[in-house]
Amino acid sequence: MEKPKIGIFSLTGCGGDQLMILNLEDELLKLLSYFEVKSFQEASSYDEKTELDIAFVEGSVSTKTGLKRLEEIRGRCKLLIALGDCAIGGCVQAMRSQQMSLAEKMRKVYGVEENYYDVLEPKGLAAYVKVDLEIPGCPIEKNEILHAITSLLHGDSPETIDYPVCVECKLNEYPCVIIEKSMPCLGPITTAGCNARCPGLGLDCIGCRGPIKDETNATEELNLLLEKGFDFQYIANRLRFFGGNFDEIIKLTSELKKKAEKEGGI
Amino acid sequence: MISRKIEVEHLTRVEGHGRIEVTIEGNTVKDVKMNIFEGPRFFEAFIETVYYDKVPDIMRRICAICTASHSLASIRAIEKAFDVKVTRQTEILRDLLIHGEMVESHALHVFALALPDFLGYPDVIRMTEKHLNEVKAALQLKKAGNMVHNVVSGREVHGMNERVGGFSKVPTEGELLNIKEAMEKVKPTAELAVKLFASFETPDFAESENTLMALDPGEKFGFLGDQVLISTGERVPIERYRELTNEKTIKHSHAKFSSYKGSPFMVGALPRILLNKDKLSGTARELFNQHKDLLTYRNSLMNNLAQAIELVHSVDRCIEDIDALLSMGLRDEGLVEINPKAGQGVGAVEAPRGILYHDYTFDEKGCIVKANVITPTAQNAANIEKDFRVAVPRLLNQPEEKIRRALEIIARAYDPCISCSVHLAIINP
Repeated sequence: MEKPKIGIFSLTGCGGDQLMILNLEDELLKLLSYFEVKSFQEASSYDEKTELDIAFVEGSVSTKTGLKRLEEIRGRCKLLIALGDCAIGGCVQAMRSQQMSLAEKMRKVYGVEENYYDVLEPKGLAAYVKVDLEIPGCPIEKNEILHAITSLLHGDSPETIDYPVCVECKLNEYPCVIIEKSMPCLGPITTAGCNARCPGLGLDCIGCRGPIKDETNATEELNLLLEKGFDFQYIANRLRFFGGNFDEIIKLTSELKKKAEKEGGI
Repeated sequence: MISRKIEVEHLTRVEGHGRIEVTIEGNTVKDVKMNIFEGPRFFEAFIETVYYDKVPDIMRRICAICTASHSLASIRAIEKAFDVKVTRQTEILRDLLIHGEMVESHALHVFALALPDFLGYPDVIRMTEKHLNEVKAALQLKKAGNMVHNVVSGREVHGMNERVGGFSKVPTEGELLNIKEAMEKVKPTAELAVKLFASFETPDFAESENTLMALDPGEKFGFLGDQVLISTGERVPIERYRELTNEKTIKHSHAKFSSYKGSPFMVGALPRILLNKDKLSGTARELFNQHKDLLTYRNSLMNNLAQAIELVHSVDRCIEDIDALLSMGLRDEGLVEINPKAGQGVGAVEAPRGILYHDYTFDEKGCIVKANVITPTAQNAANIEKDFRVAVPRLLNQPEEKIRRALEIIARAYDPCISCSVHLAIINP
């Protein structure tokens, strides 16, 4: 059988998802030997613009150049896999989506308002092109990418996780950091798959695997955190760290803002 | 006059997106540009109003490969602003973490990103055809660095265990002993890196004056400090970093360019090794003495060899830190008490690629009012262009392909981290 042709690409982000693939130190050489690697920008000068069976793309679409590149990759791959939060929902760089205009960001950071870099509001790939599979995480988990790749090699579609971090926390029998320590944990609304890493370290989940698709009860999370005494600004920022582009979180944080304004400030 | 352009469309084997463009007229180089077209990410703008406790968790996401460097610079800035004093155990664990990061990052750069240039391969994967054992050993060296990330920080990339005021979970004795064992095993590979890079004919096409900067690590060679040493003999506290970096926005690049007194300067392994050579000890010191004639401050390409020597230093230091922790006895001491207040703090660390500054201003509740981050690659960008400007005229009679390759080799020697450089800092008033 001919080896499947793959390409690993990145748009705007920290490069962490490609790095997690390189961090598969024990499996990397064997894993890549099952494929013909046509592009791997972070690791190779070899780059062949050819038809691909699978394109893995990390990073958010944040510039027109990035968008063109994404469209070009989509045009020559059979399966497009969004690798990591940036490629799914924009991740941390989307934290202020619809809160701060591009002109304002340009002024704060570059001191000018003119958008001479062709910057777009950061968004995930699916805002522009068809995405066949999304692998969440900031960064992605090694096990999950290994599992996804081996499933694809066998012609199966990888399992997607649709339950919260709390499930894994309970399976590990970790004490609940919200109940026991009143910590502002986002585990209840965050996609599992990390084996409840933060609660395992005695920390509250910051939501780095993104809100659970279609299953996020952010209103209850909000009420819970208000009950624990956290203020509006704190909660709004927390919900937006990794959820700035998620409709429910946008709606909720704007409602919060209105409520806080009505009550006379934060 | 006929003008021509030499372009490197997409810099590969670097972290992030960049391109190089050189315009030549007749026999003179008219223009040199390193375009950085990674999309801007506006970290300093969106971190405003965030309460201090999760600031390092967000700011470390500026970069994956120097994630712990960012989190430690961030934590140090916050602790300065709030006058926090941490325990000795925390200090040693942080020292272990930054040295582990150096092992992971330098192993990746030296073996997988820079070495293929010298052996004539497009990448490390194709290098396995003839050098399988070396590649496997290099991956184990990288893995030993990642063990530190995993155990001390909580995972390889964007860990969370190092906090303002200490560590959430203190590693166990067994975990530390595993790292020690791994480091002892990989030390010969780190030494091999030095041997390899000392044996290559390192090109001298970029040789020119370089101003160097590195943090003063104190008594021993290392990567944390509060004073900047400059090759001019000056010493400047990190709080005055703006005078040193003087960033400005350049239209062709999403990263800002730094200059000191109007000239470009270099940060990274070569400046660290040369400015702090007397603080090296053990095998790293011996190796430095063996190769000190090669390590000229005028050739930025020697950064690869300097990184290799730092690899040896870092492997040894991880072992030393672990021994110190074990002999003190590990204590589950929790975080020290933090009392947020209005004020400003600057934190600096030596990231794998050079000095990294985080500067925050807080309101009385402990929320960010203003943030500024200056990354090593942003500081090096002007020096990389300077090297291009020096090298191209020396290579004009060479085929274009060779010039293009030379430009890539120069850029890669700095181990540029382009994602980092486009976090983008606020312009100096």
